[in-house]
Formats: sequence, structure tokens, C-alpha cells
Amino acid sequence: MTKTATKTDALGLEHFKYDNDIVRKFAYATAFWGLIGMTVGLLAALQMIWPALNFTPETTFGRVRPLHTNAAIFAFVGNGIYMGVYYSLQRLMKARMWSDLLSTLHFYGWQIIILAAALTLPLGISTGKEYAELEWPIDIGIALVWIFFGINMFMTIMKRRERHLYVAVWFYIATWITVTVLHVGNSLELPATLWKSYPLFAGVQDALVQWWYGHNAVAFFLTTPYLGLMYYFLPKAANRPVYSYRLSIIHFWALIFIYIWAGPHHLLYTSLPDWAQSLGMVFSLMLIAPSWGGMLNGLLTLRGAWDRVREDPVLKMMVVAVTAYGMATLEGPLLSIKSVNAISHYTDWTVGHVHIGTLGWNGMLTFGILYWLFPRLFDTKLYSKKLANVHFWIATLGMLFYAIPLYWAGWTQSSMWKQFLPEGMLQYGNFLETVTAILPMYMMRAFGGAIYLAGVILMIYNLIKTVKQGNFIGDEDASAPPLQGAVEAHKGEHWHRWIERRPVQLLIGSAVVVLIGGMVEIFPMVMVEDNVPKIESVRPYTALELNGRDLYIKEGCNTCHSQMIRPFRSETERYGEYSKSGEFIYDRPHLWGSKRTGPDLHRVGQKYPDSWHYNHMMDPRITSPGSIMPPYAWMLEKDLDTRYTPAKIRTLMTLGTPYPDDYPETAAEDMQRQAKEIADRLRAQGVEEPAEGRLEDKQIIAMIAYLQRLGTDIKTTVGEPTKK
Amino acid sequence: MNSTKIRKAGGFILLLTTSVTAVAQEATEAAVTAPTGGALGLDRFSSMELLLLGLIGTILLLGAASIIKLSFSLLEMQKLRVLEKYSPEQLQEIGVANVVSTEPWWKEMYKKWTNVVPVEKEQDIMLDHDYDGIHELDNSLPPWWLAIFYVTTAFAVFYIGYQHFSDYGTSSQEAYVMEMEEAEASVKAFLATQANAVDETNVVMLDDPEAIGRGEMTYIAKCAVCHGQLGEGGIGPNLTDQYWLHGGSIADVFKTVKYGVPEKGMVPWKNDLRPAQIQEVASFIKTLVGTNPPNPKEAQGEIYVDDPAETTEEPSEESLSMNE
Repeated sequence: MTKTATKTDALGLEHFKYDNDIVRKFAYATAFWGLIGMTVGLLAALQMIWPALNFTPETTFGRVRPLHTNAAIFAFVGNGIYMGVYYSLQRLMKARMWSDLLSTLHFYGWQIIILAAALTLPLGISTGKEYAELEWPIDIGIALVWIFFGINMFMTIMKRRERHLYVAVWFYIATWITVTVLHVGNSLELPATLWKSYPLFAGVQDALVQWWYGHNAVAFFLTTPYLGLMYYFLPKAANRPVYSYRLSIIHFWALIFIYIWAGPHHLLYTSLPDWAQSLGMVFSLMLIAPSWGGMLNGLLTLRGAWDRVREDPVLKMMVVAVTAYGMATLEGPLLSIKSVNAISHYTDWTVGHVHIGTLGWNGMLTFGILYWLFPRLFDTKLYSKKLANVHFWIATLGMLFYAIPLYWAGWTQSSMWKQFLPEGMLQYGNFLETVTAILPMYMMRAFGGAIYLAGVILMIYNLIKTVKQGNFIGDEDASAPPLQGAVEAHKGEHWHRWIERRPVQLLIGSAVVVLIGGMVEIFPMVMVEDNVPKIESVRPYTALELNGRDLYIKEGCNTCHSQMIRPFRSETERYGEYSKSGEFIYDRPHLWGSKRTGPDLHRVGQKYPDSWHYNHMMDPRITSPGSIMPPYAWMLEKDLDTRYTPAKIRTLMTLGTPYPDDYPETAAEDMQRQAKEIADRLRAQGVEEPAEGRLEDKQIIAMIAYLQRLGTDIKTTVGEPTKK
Repeated sequence: MNSTKIRKAGGFILLLTTSVTAVAQEATEAAVTAPTGGALGLDRFSSMELLLLGLIGTILLLGAASIIKLSFSLLEMQKLRVLEKYSPEQLQEIGVANVVSTEPWWKEMYKKWTNVVPVEKEQDIMLDHDYDGIHELDNSLPPWWLAIFYVTTAFAVFYIGYQHFSDYGTSSQEAYVMEMEEAEASVKAFLATQANAVDETNVVMLDDPEAIGRGEMTYIAKCAVCHGQLGEGGIGPNLTDQYWLHGGSIADVFKTVKYGVPEKGMVPWKNDLRPAQIQEVASFIKTLVGTNPPNPKEAQGEIYVDDPAETTEEPSEESLSMNE
């Protein structure tokens, strides 16, 4: 057949070849997208200091931030996962990947998805759901490519020449099945147009599903596959036995079971019912030990090799990676304690926390693997160990310069938000004061990010030089005895060996384990009506408000503005009555947000005159000097695209929003009426006619309609606090 | 045989002491906080404070345990001495190692809590599987790690039970109501100590240059955006002419600044400025009248001229004391 065909020799050994070409492809993609993703991140960091860096609508912070997160998670870490899995799986299974075609389809498919994301996100095509911003056609593409990957992986496992599955492979399998479930569950959405869909669930239910997904994207995309990689590459690089097999078993099963439950810790003190919040908190605390199991097995594997850690940049990076993993997974549970979360949530503390995970754990482990892998793929030595050591130091410093100022900023800002004067008013009633106070910290963060990025550039240079001096081994010779028929259990073997011989059972077992937590939390939220107490006065958005809301999503306003007032004195004093779950039943998707770079907007409706919003969008510094919000002047110039309004309304009606039956047809008229009211008010307040077109038709009118509606439905009926 | 008995007795005493300590601690807590709610008054604490208390409790318990452990080792050493003296043959039988440990307790504790096979002996626990050259050791689960797992799990059960299946739990909403009540009480208590707070019913024009200067600073920081650096007007009306949309007396200006005129675009400042600051800025604004800055906005509203008797009046004792 081809040069990669299997041959059997006289001794019964099968000779075959590992596919290194696919590993090389993913390795190049990892390095490339790392560079891009972090560069975009640096831009976002700088925009938070100098709003002038928001050049065009496409490069405005609200659209750049999802681009950064998607590029860093799904492009950089995603390709990193595939690189590591394709290298290690072949060797752990003693088999070439099952299908070179699927490998290739997987590679190019994933890069096309990344390109689609890189195009649609700057264009403002977004679902508004954090870490799942890509719209439905791309969602389908992701599912397809993920299935290619799954089939290729499982068929390789089925055709293996090694009876038992090593712990790394357990993690790969659990990753695959869980990401499948999460991606499908969180992408349940109904398309209204080619590039716009509305989620099946609304408000608090959507929030719960979203953070079940969002939290577990961290767990099963940034953590479990990388633990798998750690279990292969760290003992390989250190040439030491893994510390404890028993620990692997317990921490693997405990980790995947408990992780799923912890999603609600992203929603503490929101209008999510208390029982779900409590579950989120206690399961997060129970996660400390299973997470640390991974860290211990990593660090203790290095016992007896610490002298080499001092010299080898690969091991050094892995040690920092595993340590950062341990720190982030201790900090995470602590941040999930309700009273700590009351301080940290919505601040930069969270941003600092996740970057310990991404820069430290994912970044450093990826760099370590790349430095280890390239000399092996290219049959040579690393071009410069010295440069790699320099990279190690600036990456470590970059990480610290990144995270520490943000911890400081988060703590400072939160304290300022909560500071009252003895007279009973907020000391910093003007939100802006709490932003300008932390700008120096933002500068230090940007500096940290910049030097971390510089390290990546050094690495890429070093790797290119390594490639140049080596000879690529596309198909690596390997041999192993074929797998003989079913093996009986050894006497006295560990009980877990049973499932290690059975990949299908392992797949089903992990699926069952990960499904439990999600089902226990999500089903009651969706099925039991008591969990979302109805509020009579809450009505669906008008067509104009709906279009304004979709603009809000398009511009990514929710990346900086929350719409969720927590039941704290410091929040009700600043923003108004705390948010109730019944207010969000028509919110598809929910826009609660997770970070307050600007103030909460849930009760901004009717707080300022229309002209204030008009001027504020033109240039935020007119109404709020010193603000770091980007200008949205194009909203004053561009006409609102109303072509799809009937389709949007019909979609929402299908999902259960109670519009009158003829509303899709009468919507245009209703929009005209409401737009005229707002435009007239603006004129009365001194706003001039636009240079081109009518004021009524501009995007800003829809935006004002939405903002003035926010949180006003319950203004007449303030609910009694509900007993648990 | 003897030593196991001793160990058992020790364990029992330890258990007894810890429970006594725990009860005593709870009693002190209860006494200190004089609870109105739960039996132990635990609902008075935030979970952070509970965590801290738990931590302190643990440290105290560990301290107590180590003291007890120490006294037991001393006791055993004494026993060894007695045995050595009076019945060396029995000592031979038991073996010294079984009677007394030769390592300090913390080293023993460390070993116990890590339970790790040393690197030199790892061949003994090397599993026979080999995955692409990777071997695995069969070290046992680190006991300290296991303890964290057990403690967090126990806490989870306790927390859910306490919050959702007992009468002592506090919902987020109940906690909010309590927070608001406490704040209201403390604000009330503070205001009771402050005589003559300024409001729109008793506000008077200030003419102390320092107070006017502070008013100007506030004006530049908050008002100039809309009303112009010199009060000439912009988004908001001109403040330097004699025309006023919402009244030109000091009380009217104070009221407009304090409550705003949201329907016209004037933002309320009562949550951002203290009453005394509003008085200062309102007084400063009144000093702008007749300054004729360049590029004035056209006059709006009705003409208002101060009653001369009122403007020449000296600032009262009250308003001065307010500004100190």
C-alpha cells in the first residue's frame, strides 16, 4: 500500500510508523495562534488604559475581548491539545493514528473555524455568551470537527497494541465526551437568520446553562486535556516514574465528577436560587483535593530529578506550570466561598486568577512541550537552551507582573465600591473614580502581558532556528507486538485495571459521571417553575428595544457592564433595587456579565435623559471625563438594519415569548412610533439632526430604547424578599 | 501489648479533650455574641469569620494534641526507665522500638501525613506496566491530601444541611435585609450626633472664600462638563446670567443640584456629594452671576434677583460650623 503500511517481521513484531506530520502541523498552529491571541490580548489591555486605541468598530474592546479569549482558548490551547494528543496517543497506543485523512480534516477544519471566528467576532457576529460567542453555523462546524477528532482518537484506541490505557488517555477520553456534551448543551439555539440565533433558555436558566458550560470549558478544555499532556510529557521529560498510580485513579474520577457541579460559583449572589449557589460553592471547595491530586502527581514525579530541573528549561517550565495549576485551583475554590466572592466578583481579581491558569498552567506547559517536542520531531538539539532559559524567566516575570497588579486592582476597586460615609452615602458614588484609581495597575498589567508576549516571540525564533538546523522525521519507525486476544485479569491486580482495558466502558463511565452534576442542577431550574418566581409587570421587549438589545450584544457591551445587581447595600445604594430572576424571563441570552469595567446597567433605564446617552455614545468623555469607555460614534451615523426584525420576532415567539400573534407584521410600525418618540425627545433636548438620513433611523435610537427600558418593569412593584 | 493500650487510652483522652475544648469554645463564642438567632449564634458570623474561627480552632486543637502527645512520650520514656531498672528481661521481650519512638514527634507526624516511599526504595512499589517508557509508582494517597478531601466533603454536607435543612440558615435576601437594617441604625446613630444637617429648607449662602473655593473645585470636577468651565453653559444652561430654569435662590439651586431635574438632563448629586458640599457648590454657582464669560449660552428660564437684604447677611454660626 503506502509507505506507512504495517509490516510483521519474523519475530512477530509489527513494524509501523508514527505520524509526526500532523503533530508538526498542530505545533506550528499552536505557536502561531499563541502569538496572535496574546497580541490581541495586549491590544485589549492597552485599550483599557487608552480608549483612543479603539480605532474602528471592528477593533473596539467589546469585540476584541471575545476575539482574545477565543484565540487564546480555542486556537492556542486548542491546537496545543491536539498537538500533544496526536503525539502522545500514538505512542501510548503503540499505533499510528487510525486515519491520516481524518487527522488532516481535523487540522484544516479547526483552522477554518478559527479563521471564521477571527472574521465574525470583529464584525460583531456574536451570541453574547461568554466563551461561546460563535454563532450557530460555526457551532455546527465545531461539532463536526470535534467528531472527526473523536472518531480518529477512538479508532486509534480500538486498534491499539497496548492492552491498558494509561492515565493520560483517560483524561483524553473524558475531555472528548464532556466537551461534546457541553458544546451541544450550551449551543441549543434557534437561528433567526444566517448569523443570528436566540438560545433555547432565557434569563436565569440561560445563565445557569451558560456557566455550566463556561466553567467546564475551563475544566475540560483548559484542564483535563492538559493534565493528560502533563501525565505524558512530564515523566518523559524528567525520565522519572509517575508518583502514584492510586492517586491518578482517585483524582481523575473525583475531578471529572465534582468539576461539573461547580458552575454556579460564577453566579453567587445573583438571582440564581440559593440552593444552586450553595451547591456551586461546596462542590468548588471539594475540588481542592482532586485538583491538587494532579499537581502532586506532577510535582512528586520530579522527586529525584530536582537537580535537572535547575538546568533544563523544559522541566523548569513544567514545574511552574504545575505550580500555577495548584495555585489557581486553590484560589478558585476560595473565590467560590460566598463572602470572598462578594468581594472579588466583577473585579479584576477574577481576571488575574484566570491568567494564573492560562499564562501559568496552559502557557508554560505548552512552551515546555514545544521545547521538548521540536528537537525530537526534527532529530536535532534545541537551537539555544540559553534563549529558552531567558524565555522561562521573562514568562515567569510576565505572569507575575500581569497577575499581582490585577489582584491589587480588584481588591482596591471592590473596597472603593463598598466604602460608605457615616452619613450613609457611598464615598465613591461616581463609579468612574473607582476606575481611574486602578489605571496604574492596568498599566503594570499591560507591561506584564507585553513581556510575556516577548517571550513567545523569542520562543518562536528559537523553534524556527531548531527547525532549520534539523531534519524532519515525518513518519517515525516504531514496532510492537500485536495485541493478543482478550486478557484475563491478573490475580491480585488493582480493581481499576478492569476498566483500563475497556475504552468503551471508560467512555460511558466518564459520560455518566459528568452528566450527574449538570442534570441535578439544570433540570430542576428548567422544570420547576418555583425557581423563577413570576413578576406580573414584566413584559417582552418591543421590536425597537429588541434591536437595541441585539446591538448591545453585537458591540459586546456585556464584556464591561453587568446587568445583575446583587443584594448588597453597596449595590442597591449605587444602582437601585437588586435584580430578581423574574425580570429576565425574556432575556435571550441573559446579559448578566461577569466583569464591571463600567457600572452595572440593570437599572440604568430612566436614570439619565435620552440626550445623555446620545452624547455618551458619541464620546463617553463628554459626559464622563476620564472615562475609559470606547466611543461608539458610528451608532449615531449608521442606520439600524431592520430587515430581519420579523424573523427575529417569529423566532422568539417560537421559543415562547408572548408577543401578539400579528406582531411580526406590525413590528415595523411599532418601531417607527417608538423611534419617533425618542428622536423627538432628543431634538427637544438639543440634539442636532444627523448629516445624512433621519435621526429616527439611526442605531442610537434603538440603543437608547433598550437602555431606557432596562430594569424599569418592576419600578412600581418592588417585591418582598423571599424566604428560602 | 502495653503500648497499644497506652495508645488507645491516649486517643480516648485526646478525643475527650478536643470535645471539651470545642464545647468551651462554642460557649465563649455564644457568650461573646449574645445570640438572638441560632443556638450557637453561628448565624451572626459571616462565612469568612466562621472560616477564620475554624482555622483558629484547628490550630488550638493541633496545639493541644501535640502537648498531649508530648506528655505521652514523656510518660513512655519514664516507663522505659522504670522497666530498665526493675525488669530488663521484659524490656528485652517487647523490644525498645515498640516502647518509645526514637524520632521527634513532628518528624513522625510529617512521615505519617505524607506516607511516601523514599526514592531509594521506589523499586519496591514500581508497577510492572510500561507505557511508552513511562512507569508508575504505587505510592499511597498522601494522608494530608486525603484529609483535605474529607474535611471539604464534610464541610459540604454540613453547609448544605445548615443553610437549607436547618432553621439557622440565612438566604441571600435575608442577609440583605439584615445588612440594610444594621446600616440604617448606624447611619441614624451617626446623624444623631450631627446637629443641624444642611438641607433645602435651611440652606444659606456662604461667603467664606475658602468654602467658595471648595465649591469651585467641586464645580470644575463635576459640573463644568455640562455647564462650562466658567459657567457659560453647554449641554446645560448658562449659570452666569440672571435667568434660572428652576429658581435662582440658594435654596432652589441647592435643591436642583441635590435632586437633579432628570427629565431635562440634570443629574441628581445627592449620592455623590455631601450636603455641605452641595451647599458650597450652590454658593459658588451663585457667585458666577454677572461674570459675563465669553461664548455664553442664550438665557433660559425666568429672571431672578436676590433679595439684597438676604445676600448681604453674614453667614450664620450654623453654616460655618457645618463647614468645619
